[in-house]
Amino acid sequence: MKNKKKLSLWEAYLTKEIGIEFKACLYFFAFLFYYCVYKIVCGVYDASILHMTEMIFTCYIICYLQVYLFRNFDEADKLKGREIAGLVVCTALYIAVSYFGKWFDQNIAVTLGFMAYILLVYFCVILIYRTKRKIDDKNLNDDLKLFQAEHKK
Amino acid sequence: MKIDIKQISEGEESVVIRYKDLTPTLGKIISVLNGDDNRLRGKTDEGEVFFTPDEILYLESVDDKVFAYTGDKVIRIEGSLSTFMNEQEDESFFRCSKSMVINVGRVSALKSLSSNRIDATMESGEHIIISRRYASDFRRLLKGDR
Repeated sequence: MKNKKKLSLWEAYLTKEIGIEFKACLYFFAFLFYYCVYKIVCGVYDASILHMTEMIFTCYIICYLQVYLFRNFDEADKLKGREIAGLVVCTALYIAVSYFGKWFDQNIAVTLGFMAYILLVYFCVILIYRTKRKIDDKNLNDDLKLFQAEHKK
Repeated sequence: MKIDIKQISEGEESVVIRYKDLTPTLGKIISVLNGDDNRLRGKTDEGEVFFTPDEILYLESVDDKVFAYTGDKVIRIEGSLSTFMNEQEDESFFRCSKSMVINVGRVSALKSLSSNRIDATMESGEHIIISRRYASDFRRLLKGDR
């Protein structure tokens, strides 16, 4: 039997959920960094627990949208219509929550800066995944050559 | 089917097969006797053909029929993909989705895709996607961990 070890539906689901957890934490820490820098610039050395709670929940919900509705655009091979729409919608949602949640005291300039920062984070994540795939391509092709050499044509 | 086996002390050994229809079982027996039991039997538009598993690029199941693609020929073979996989001792054949089996020995390049899928480019230039459910197993196969 050659496909005994194939991924079960449960394992596939779990892999997806772990991916969402990882993404939510990644974005939360990236946004928390911006938030902390803003607070320090304002001369405040305390972070609001309420704001941080809002941030992590927002990240979770938006990461679910990102994965299940927008084809996981930050990991996409190519940015097409739905992926770009996802990028715009998710950024808009973060901005809306940050504005109405008063993360940056409804300061328009800082909020716009946050928007640019979110786009930069997304760009970096897309770049990281692409680089990761390129390295994976190389490893896969090396393994393929070895396999073919062992199982002569 | 009646089987007559007779031991002889001298003269040339021979096997006589008398049949009404050439069934797959008889086909296999004939292949074994011809010394080419590794050969597969299938049908194309031009009629019956014999070919080796090495010639196959990939197999596809369409409406419960299994087709083997060799690059220049599409051959219909008997049975299912599971039967084929069970009969093949060669690990070069890999089930890459519910309806496809690829010959890893005839993959020219691999490309990692998002969501842990893999794009396999066959020697013919065709692209076959190894789905997420089978990709981990495929990686293990390449590393010899299966």
